[in-house]
Amino acid sequence: MDEARLAARLGVVIRALSRMPGGAIQQNWALDVTLPGGREAGWVLRTNNPGTLAVSRTRAEEFALLRAAHAAGACVAEPLLLCEDAAILGAPFFVMRRIPGTAAGHLLARQARDAGGEPTLVAAMGRALARIHAIRPPRPDLAFLGDPPADPCAAFVARMRARLDAAATPRPVLEWGLEALARNAPPPRPAALAHNDFRTGNLMVDAGALAGILDWEFAGWDDPAADLGWFCAPCWRFGNRGPGFEAGGLGPEASLLAGYTEAGGEAPGEGRLAWWRLAATIRWAVIAADQAGRFLSGAESALELALTGHVIPELELDVLHMVEAMDAGTA
Amino acid sequence: MQERPEARELLAAARGTLLERLLPALPPALHYEARMIANAMAIAARAAAPPPVPAALAADAACLAAAIRRGAFAPGTPGHAACAGYLRGLAEARARVSNPKALAR
Repeated sequence: MDEARLAARLGVVIRALSRMPGGAIQQNWALDVTLPGGREAGWVLRTNNPGTLAVSRTRAEEFALLRAAHAAGACVAEPLLLCEDAAILGAPFFVMRRIPGTAAGHLLARQARDAGGEPTLVAAMGRALARIHAIRPPRPDLAFLGDPPADPCAAFVARMRARLDAAATPRPVLEWGLEALARNAPPPRPAALAHNDFRTGNLMVDAGALAGILDWEFAGWDDPAADLGWFCAPCWRFGNRGPGFEAGGLGPEASLLAGYTEAGGEAPGEGRLAWWRLAATIRWAVIAADQAGRFLSGAESALELALTGHVIPELELDVLHMVEAMDAGTA
Repeated sequence: MQERPEARELLAAARGTLLERLLPALPPALHYEARMIANAMAIAARAAAPPPVPAALAADAACLAAAIRRGAFAPGTPGHAACAGYLRGLAEARARVSNPKALAR
């Protein structure tokens, strides 16, 4: 990283610059700066990793999403500056204010387990989700998201089948889950802005309070219940599979939904929520298969990608269990 | 006939050295990498001695996947229960290598 060029572009003095851990798709850098007036600030710089997933948003699009979410009061880091000139760092980047706290999923889940669940925290997460979902099409600033799907559930099934076909590895258990989704699809609802990766691990928590929602690169127009199902899917509960930890392994689903409806979100109903929990499990398996595929094709050598493929059998067991419950009417 | 220790035993021994001797000496920034290596070695060790897979599981996965998508095994069809049972066995056999802890749930 060329610090001098970056400092000149940002118009600040850089006191410290360090790569932050994590980020399979993007790189995040912690940036301590002194502003022209002498005030000090903590920022985060976000730029691309080589071999970025094709489904991922560009940094300019992610910046527009952050601006929209910040304006909607959805608890995100304030976006500060976008630079699309690849000459500065070799790839486009943007800068946002740094949020205190941790997003480490296993750590937060362990703390929640020790506390017997964190209903206040998950209610705040529900309120934040409702504010994101209040963003509705059409939005000229989010035109890159394309047209909203007329039937988000049918669109989801078609999208997952297309990705399985493209990957060309037969996956009978995932097909079993998709077939059950196709048979049990709830009626279409108007699409809203969905974050599409709203889960423990992407939610910054500081001193027990929600501090910021990270990683907006998968956002799109969708059934708002897609985010609730993703957050409450068994695979994102970080081992806290007992009752009272349905919401991201952190707290009760009832508290999440109470916060969600209190802030204006429409309660999804148990059938629609169960549909999107199963959809979430299948979607994570499809993403994991694609990530392992990048390792197997030789495109990337990261051990993390190689290991990600090994989450699929566990997800398949979850899929079989959820389909059984859905067909028995006990989902 | 191969020399002992076999691949599975070698990997287990190497993994023990990694976790017990190297990990404590590594800076915290490298702990995640070390644990990923340990996880990869554990999966490789289980795959090196695959559990017996029922003969029925040798069916053509592509044909089965396509038939399921067509709804050929949907509830109410004659093959529904058999297909569900077959998929359960398939997923369990796969989890036995990738993540045996998932079988305990």
